[in-house]
Amino acid sequence: MVTPEQVKSYIEQNLECAKIEVIGDGQHFEALIVSASFRGKSRVQRHQLVYAGLGKRMREEIHALSMMTLTPEEFEEQRA
Amino acid sequence: MDVQQRIKEQVESHPVVLFMKGTPQFPQCGFSASVVEVLKACGVREVHTVNVLEDPEIRQGIKDYANWPTIPQLYVNGEFVGGADIVREMAQTGELQKMLEA
Repeated sequence: MVTPEQVKSYIEQNLECAKIEVIGDGQHFEALIVSASFRGKSRVQRHQLVYAGLGKRMREEIHALSMMTLTPEEFEEQRA
Repeated sequence: MDVQQRIKEQVESHPVVLFMKGTPQFPQCGFSASVVEVLKACGVREVHTVNVLEDPEIRQGIKDYANWPTIPQLYVNGEFVGGADIVREMAQTGELQKMLEA
């Protein structure tokens, strides 16, 4: 079974994150990911970036990953 | 016909296509159910749905088609829109409604 901490580290290995939080039950996960790499990218492209890092794990170990993908600027705006 | 070709034909022959687990009446996954609900709330009457649980070839093939590893997947006018999170976000901002009107 995959833990939220593992999912977090898989994502971080491939994507520089300003902030990342992952919760989940071993199959379904929810992540808040803040990364400068998302700048100028559509939502689909941002999720694809994360999925690319997870690779085969996304097909085999993780049933679903619900994501909120924000740039640092968008994250600041949301907090304001 | 190979599976990628089959998928291409499906998404191009209907304006709104949803690849999901189960059917709109009996969704087999909460994420699929949520997209069906969002589309209903947006007033979409005609959605062509494909139950991937009945077609293992499409279930795998659709993941390659959009370079997207999860289901549900929504297509509007042949273009991949996103999965459950993106569809929900786009409905909240009104982008989805605009896209569906076009």
